[in-house]
This record gives sequence, C-alpha cells and structure tokens, in this order.
Amino acid sequence: MAVDGPLAPIAITLGEPAGIGPEITLKAWHRRVFHDLPLFYLIGDPGLLRGVAKKMSSPPPIKEIAEPAEAADVFDTALPILPIALAGRVKPGRPNTRHATAVMAAIEQAVSHARAGAAAAVVTNPIQKSVLHKAGFKHPGHTEYLAELCAAKRSPVMLLSCPGLKAVPVTIHLPLQEAVAALTTDLIVERALTTAAALERDFGLSPPRLAVAGLNPHAGEDGELGSAERDIILPAVRRIAAEGIDVAGPLPADSMFHAEARRAYDAAICMYHDQALIPIKTIAFEFGINVTLGLPIVRTSPDHGTALDLAGRNEADPASLISAIGYAGLIARRRRRFG
Amino acid sequence: MSKPRIILLPGDRNGIGPEILGKLLADPACHQWADIEVMADPGVLAAGGVPAAATAGYRLLPFSPEAEAPIEPGQATAAAGRECLAALSRAAQRLRDGEADGLVFAPLNKQALHLGGLAQADEMRFLAHELGHDGACGELNVLAELWTTRVTSHIPLADVAGRITPGSVGQTIRFAHDSLVAAGRPAPRIAVAALNPHAGDGGNFGREEIEVIEPAVRRAVDDGIAAEGPFPSDTVFVRARDGAFDCVVTMFHDQGQIAMKLLGFGQGVTVLGGLPLPITTCGHGTAYDIVGTGQATDGALRNALRICAAMAGNNQNGSAR
Repeated sequence: MAVDGPLAPIAITLGEPAGIGPEITLKAWHRRVFHDLPLFYLIGDPGLLRGVAKKMSSPPPIKEIAEPAEAADVFDTALPILPIALAGRVKPGRPNTRHATAVMAAIEQAVSHARAGAAAAVVTNPIQKSVLHKAGFKHPGHTEYLAELCAAKRSPVMLLSCPGLKAVPVTIHLPLQEAVAALTTDLIVERALTTAAALERDFGLSPPRLAVAGLNPHAGEDGELGSAERDIILPAVRRIAAEGIDVAGPLPADSMFHAEARRAYDAAICMYHDQALIPIKTIAFEFGINVTLGLPIVRTSPDHGTALDLAGRNEADPASLISAIGYAGLIARRRRRFG
Repeated sequence: MSKPRIILLPGDRNGIGPEILGKLLADPACHQWADIEVMADPGVLAAGGVPAAATAGYRLLPFSPEAEAPIEPGQATAAAGRECLAALSRAAQRLRDGEADGLVFAPLNKQALHLGGLAQADEMRFLAHELGHDGACGELNVLAELWTTRVTSHIPLADVAGRITPGSVGQTIRFAHDSLVAAGRPAPRIAVAALNPHAGDGGNFGREEIEVIEPAVRRAVDDGIAAEGPFPSDTVFVRARDGAFDCVVTMFHDQGQIAMKLLGFGQGVTVLGGLPLPITTCGHGTAYDIVGTGQATDGALRNALRICAAMAGNNQNGSAR
C-alpha cells in the first residue's frame, strides 16, 4: 500500500439507534472541514439518519454508498452511509431489542472492512449494553467483542485519552470487589507493556514514560492501608522497569493527576475503571476518547454513553466523537508509515 | 448578636502555617467574621511574620509548651508535634469551658504528630477524645460551594465493599445533611456516588447499587433529605461542580479525593464534622518544600475561618445550647 497516498476512509458504526450516535455523527460530518477530519462513512440506516437530520437547522445531506471506496467521492457533499436496515422505527431514548441485530452487524462490517484494508480504522458509536445483552450479546462491552471479531491473541487494552492525560485501567468492567481480587502482577505488567508499545507506535512518544497508580488510599501508606502495593504493584513496577521502560509507582492516586504531576509521565496505569475515568472526566469532560490497544485494527470511540435522555433533542455535543475520529486518522496514518 | 469567638492556631511551626496565619491576620476583613483569639508561641508567630496583636486587632493567648525548641523549616520534629498536640488539647479545653465557639488550625504534619506522641489515628480522633465526644464524627471537604464526605476512608480498597451497608451509607448521608445545615445551608442537595463502574450498569457490574445504596438513598428521601443517586462516580463531581448538587457522598477515599484535588482542593477546607463544636482546617498540608519562600497563600485558611465562623454563628442563632 502506498505510504503517502490518501488514507482509506474510516468506518463509523451506528451504535444504539435510540441514542445520540446518529445525531453526533451528522454533526461531526457538518464540522469536518473546521476540524480537518479524515474521510469517514457511517454504517447504519439511511432512513433513521434522514429523520435525525431533519431536526437540525441545516440538515446535513446523506448519500448511500455500496462500498467503502465510494466514500471519497461523496464525503465533500454528503455524509456517506453504507446501509444496514433497522427492523422498524426508532423512538429516540427508547432502545428496542429488535434493533440489536443491526447494531451488531454494523460493528461486524466495520471490523471486516478494517481487517481487509478497505477502512483505515473503526470508530464506534456508543451501544446500550443492557439491550444487547437481552438480545443475546455475550460480551461485557465493545472492546471484548472487537477482540473476538479480530481474533486478537493478547487481551485488548482500553486507553482513555483527553487533552493532558492518557490513562489505562488494568481492570475494566468488573464490580469493584472483583476488580480488586482480579489484580495480579502479571496483568499489570501485560497492560503496561501493551500501553508502552502503543504510546511509541501510535502516539510517537518515544521513549514512553509510565506512572503506575496505587490501589489503596495514599498508595497503602507503607502497608498501613493495604498490602497490594507491596505484594502486587511494586513487583509489577520492577518488572516493567526491567524491560527498559521509564516507570514510576505505585503513586497515591489522589495526587498523581494534577497538571504538574502529569508532566512527568505519558500514561497512567490505573488499577480500576473509575480510578482512570474520574480524572479523565474531571479534566476534560467533553473531550475524552477511548482507544483500544492491542488489536490488529485501529479502533477509537467517544468515552460517553448513549445519553438516552438527550436523544431526539438535537442538544448532543459531538466533541468526543470528533476527537475520536481525528485520533483514529492520526493513528492510522502513523501505522501505515511506521508499521 | 455578637460575633463568634474563634481560636486560631498556627499549626506545625516548621510548615507554612505561621506564614499564612500572618497573611490572614494582616487583612482587616477577617475580623468581620469573628472575634479572633490566636493561641501560639510568640516566637513562632514572629518568625512567621504575623503582625502584632495590638495592630492587627486579635487577642493573643501566649502558649509556649516547647519554648526551647528551635524552628526548623521543612523538618518534621517531635517538638513541633508535641506543641501541636498540646495546643489542640488546650483549645479543646477552652471550647469545653465555653470560652470559645469554634477552632481553626493551620496545617499539621502527620509525621510530626506521631513523633510527638499522637496515640489516635489522626487529629480528628484526638480532638474527639479531648472534647469527650464518643459519638460519630467524620471529615468533610469543602471547595468553594461544594462539599464532600465519604462512607469509608483510610481502609484498604479490598475492605470497602464489605463496609458499604444500608446503615453506613444512610448515616453518612444524614451526617452530610446535618453538617451542611449546621453551616447555614438549609435543604442541601446531596448526590450519592455509586460503588461500581457505570453505577453497576443495572447489576451487570455489581449489585451494591441496587441492594444497598439505592435503598439507603430512598430512606434518606423519606426522612426529608434532598438526596439523589447512586450516580456513576466518574461524572458526579463534574455535575456537582457545575452546580447540580451541594454535596457529594462518596463510597471510598480516592473516589472523592481524585476529583476534589483536580478541582483545586488546595484552596479547600476540611471540616471535622459531628463534633459538638465547629472545627475546621486547611485542605492542604504543611508544604514543607516552600516554607519561607513567600509562595504560600492564605486562601484555604481564610475559607476555613469563614466556614467555622458561619457554623459557630449558626449554633448561636439556633440557640441549641
């Protein structure tokens, strides 16, 4: 593949049709020039998108395409849509299990386009997990589903990124009690090495610098407030350092995220979901994105949910999706150039 | 109504406490809120540049239990710790005797307190003991208009879920409510954080929200408290910052502390709630690394005085005693 030719278009999935995904995708296309966004197309239902567009003051035009390669000719004048028909009408804010098949099909198609090189990356709109679970979806979330579709050998890693902070939760969608129990030295090391490789390969941060959070208050305070730091995390930090990676930790989680502390590292390795999400959302509520590391394809997504309460009101902010599309393009370009 | 009588302590003599106390007392505005009594070693005050009592308009209560000890900027020393404990003890005695209505202390150093012989877990437990208070007490953090407190605090994360019970969550909501009311905030809106990711995602990622937290919130509402939740902990502070709530009740230490420190808790105030009299301090510590450089600011100490005075004034108004 030519290294300097145009990038293949980016595939965007429909996500939950009753959520804000269709609306923010239209808004992202509307602002494509302003944000200098790479070429993208949506895999979704054209009728639904037309209905959502009608509520906007200047409805973005929509044009159906038959394959990803056609997106390039359409993108300047309309949002290219590769059609997947929904099983009926969509009520904004009211997810319905009968749409689950189409929601999953959009994800499967996007992955297959990316694996075949027809799409440069996959950007996923938020899904309503509880609805998909009722329809037989067995995965805790997008990330795990994508790993299966890609037949990934290593378990994928969720990297959250906002201006000023990148954070990787070692455990993700587990009850807090189980997350604590699931924490092992091996798991921390594996996540950290995947993260370090991605910082270098996808973000050009070389050599990468990591900071590992403690699990307990005050990072355990020398064992007074818990032993996980001594028994699990510190040995992991030593093994990561032994791989030649610049790493610090375990650090007290409440003092490692302020602006000055963040200057000392490129990514924070966090021990549980909210330890990573709280700083990301607090620092930059609108701009957080999710990048899946360790997959053979490039995948990003906005870090917010379906926002069912906002659906159908034309009030949703596309900032996070726009940022996710932009990063997908940057990472895809770097991978093409540097492998 | 007379102004409340508030005792101010300079805190650890080797930290920034004396300097920021000096900056605060140099501003005449602070005397609008309270009649201030400074209890301290005059040598420590002079070294910190604290203006003289006669010119600055406060009452000095000389207190020099460690008169021979040197001032060692940036060092945690046993003498400084002993001095702080003696001052807290004496201040508690004055509160008990009805000679003062509230207490504000500049930052203490935990290591120095332990070197100085602190037998309790922290200064709050020490003060509770000195005040003869054996009921519940807890720390609240206040940043501008936003308050927060937590169901569990300095315990391993593995022990947190086991301590999240209808009783502990309910008590903390009630404690938050009562503390804000005492500070002059009637009908405070209290957001209760969830324990698990995505607030448990309808039971997929944990059941404490369904089985424990939500019922506790409902019961608080039945008791007339404006409580809501459980909310996902990654966005509850963002909503509170934007004005949706007056107080956030979190389930564990870092859930609140990560967000509060990012929101600027360096200027915040810690309220020792549940004690019979109002006691507040700075959210920040002794900042040993910048002692004497002139960089330390008195914003947090000023807010601590303002909140303590409001709580003491409220006690007087309510004529609870």
